[in-house]
Amino acid sequence: MGSSGSGVTGACVEALIARVEAEERGAAFGARVAENQRRVFQIAYGVLGNAADAEEVAQEAFLRAYQKFASLREAEKFRAWVNRIAFRLALNRQRGHRRRLARDTVWHVAGTSDAVDGARSAEERVLVQRLRSEIESLPEKFRRVLQLSIVEEMGAADVGAVLGIPAGTVRSRLHTARKLLLEAMK
Amino acid sequence: MTKACVKWKEQLLEAALTGTAAGDLEEHMKTCAACAAEFEVLQARRERMDTMLPLVARGAELPGEFRARVVAAAEAESEQKRARSVGGWVLAGATAVVTAALVMGLLLHWRAAPTVLEAELPAAERLAEWRAPSDVLLQIPGQEILQTTPRLGESYMKVPINTEEE
Ligand SMILES: [Zn+2]
Repeated sequence: MGSSGSGVTGACVEALIARVEAEERGAAFGARVAENQRRVFQIAYGVLGNAADAEEVAQEAFLRAYQKFASLREAEKFRAWVNRIAFRLALNRQRGHRRRLARDTVWHVAGTSDAVDGARSAEERVLVQRLRSEIESLPEKFRRVLQLSIVEEMGAADVGAVLGIPAGTVRSRLHTARKLLLEAMK
Repeated sequence: MTKACVKWKEQLLEAALTGTAAGDLEEHMKTCAACAAEFEVLQARRERMDTMLPLVARGAELPGEFRARVVAAAEAESEQKRARSVGGWVLAGATAVVTAALVMGLLLHWRAAPTVLEAELPAAERLAEWRAPSDVLLQIPGQEILQTTPRLGESYMKVPINTEEE
């Protein structure tokens, strides 16, 4: 084999390595998405109450995670990071929504009707809708803790990691939040 | 039904949340039907609340293809970024080549300028000072100010001012 032949082979090997690395990265990322997607979606849905919006937020959170994937390879790091970013994105989107709702009341009607798209029976829908609006009127520090605590697999430590507060504080705020809600749900 | 005692309201809520009434509340409920009834109501409400609360967050499901879609979008985005950065390098390279050519051109021009033959200088100077006869008609008030600015050729050709000619 001539010298020009070995040069071509070197380039081929490099391209092959790059492709294998990209594939390996894609597979690792895909695995992380699979592990976290349900929870991340619920974090967004708990805040937004709309499946389409929550799905967009979840996708955005994962795309951002992919940008930083080199430093988020570790499962625990990825999980904590994506939880936090999804919650923040959902709150941002909700703020945008509220501004739009304030501008146009017709949208408000549409917004409330699909805010319960996941509940089963009509009675359940009404109740979930009622709960949602009662949660919305809780003081912020209790509302945030409750919104995160009702998500699957979100323990006090996970909620605390998102909000930057100790797990003990999460537990006591959750207790108060439930008490306020119980009182409100007459 | 009579209303529960205001005094026990807080403890009734606590009892409903934890599912157990503290000793003194339990004693009170033995003799107070209103508080005992309120405890039942609150407990039922709490159970219902706890059943429904998760639905606020878990009321909908992601579509099955979500993961594949996200991975594809992430890879497409990073591919786009890579292409953009390659494009950026190409653009930067082209800019560098053009800049180098311009600098070379200027250098050559700058080096060529002083090589104008000595004999050509007076002619060039006269050419720069020449005014068409109609210039008189075009004169405007305050023209002297304009004449103080460098004339064509002066700043480029560095023609020395020849005082002897006047
Ligand atoms: Zn009583």
